[in-house]
Amino acid sequence: MDDDQGTSSGGSFDPADSLRVIREQTDRARDATEPDGRVLFGAWGVAWLVGYLAMWTAARETGLPTAWAGWVLAGCIVGATALTIVHSTTRTAGLRGASSRTGAMYGWTWFLGFMAYGTVLGAMGDAGASLEVQATAANGFACIVVGLMYIAGGLLFRETRMYAVGAWMLVTAAVAAFAGMPHTYLVMALAGGGGFLAMVVVEQVVRVRRRSLASPGLPAPGGAARD
Amino acid sequence: MIHAPARLRVVATLATLAKGDEVAFPRLRKLLDMTAGNLSTHLRKLEDAGYVQVTKTHEGRVPATYLALTDRGRAAFAEYQTALTNLLKGAGHD
Repeated sequence: MDDDQGTSSGGSFDPADSLRVIREQTDRARDATEPDGRVLFGAWGVAWLVGYLAMWTAARETGLPTAWAGWVLAGCIVGATALTIVHSTTRTAGLRGASSRTGAMYGWTWFLGFMAYGTVLGAMGDAGASLEVQATAANGFACIVVGLMYIAGGLLFRETRMYAVGAWMLVTAAVAAFAGMPHTYLVMALAGGGGFLAMVVVEQVVRVRRRSLASPGLPAPGGAARD
Repeated sequence: MIHAPARLRVVATLATLAKGDEVAFPRLRKLLDMTAGNLSTHLRKLEDAGYVQVTKTHEGRVPATYLALTDRGRAAFAEYQTALTNLLKGAGHD
């Protein structure tokens, strides 16, 4: 407690202790201020899995997804979006500067991307595109926007795992587009939702490995450096 | 200067911010679980040493204080970590 007042430099100095203090506080600060990939990937994985499985189930019965399935998907997407916004803003509360500005612009780009997505789909409908064409475009374009945004996020935040998810979503876009109705929805649920959920496992493994590597006496040099 | 555990924790926390980023005083206090008075004392010492930059501003009508590590503080922290690691390695070879 004496040392916590900063008035004493302590009796016996132990470098291992100091490194442990640095490591523990670095982990604590990062955990509190950086969004948790497991939460975000988990939310989106469940949203896509549940939402698109509902669409697939409905489309299997009637040939085209019904209104209830559309509402389930919309509810899932709105829920995951809300969770993402709340989680990210809570974690970054009280921080400002270059990263906050970049993060805000990145968030708005998602919004702009999906506004354009909705508008283009609406225009396709007005131009006489069949429901099957519209459904194919809706799934393919969604994956392309998500894929490119994750790739952009990976580049911006230097997160290789985000980039990998983006690349996977672009593959999913292509597969979903060629799968045809109603299987396009199954591809979205399993490859898209499954891709996000696989990343929850990857995030957890990376976290456990990082913790075990940072055992006392084996500090990561330059503890301030990000991933 | 950063050797005292409490100040070491302050500097370690600020070092997790990317260059060009700042943290508000109440958030920093929560991250460190320190009292406001205690944290203020440490920050003043770190500011005097040129390790921490203190920015006082207003958010609406409410005064706000933001903290960041200076380049000098970042360099001192990196050097300190290197020195600790070397000490530990030296001890291991005995």
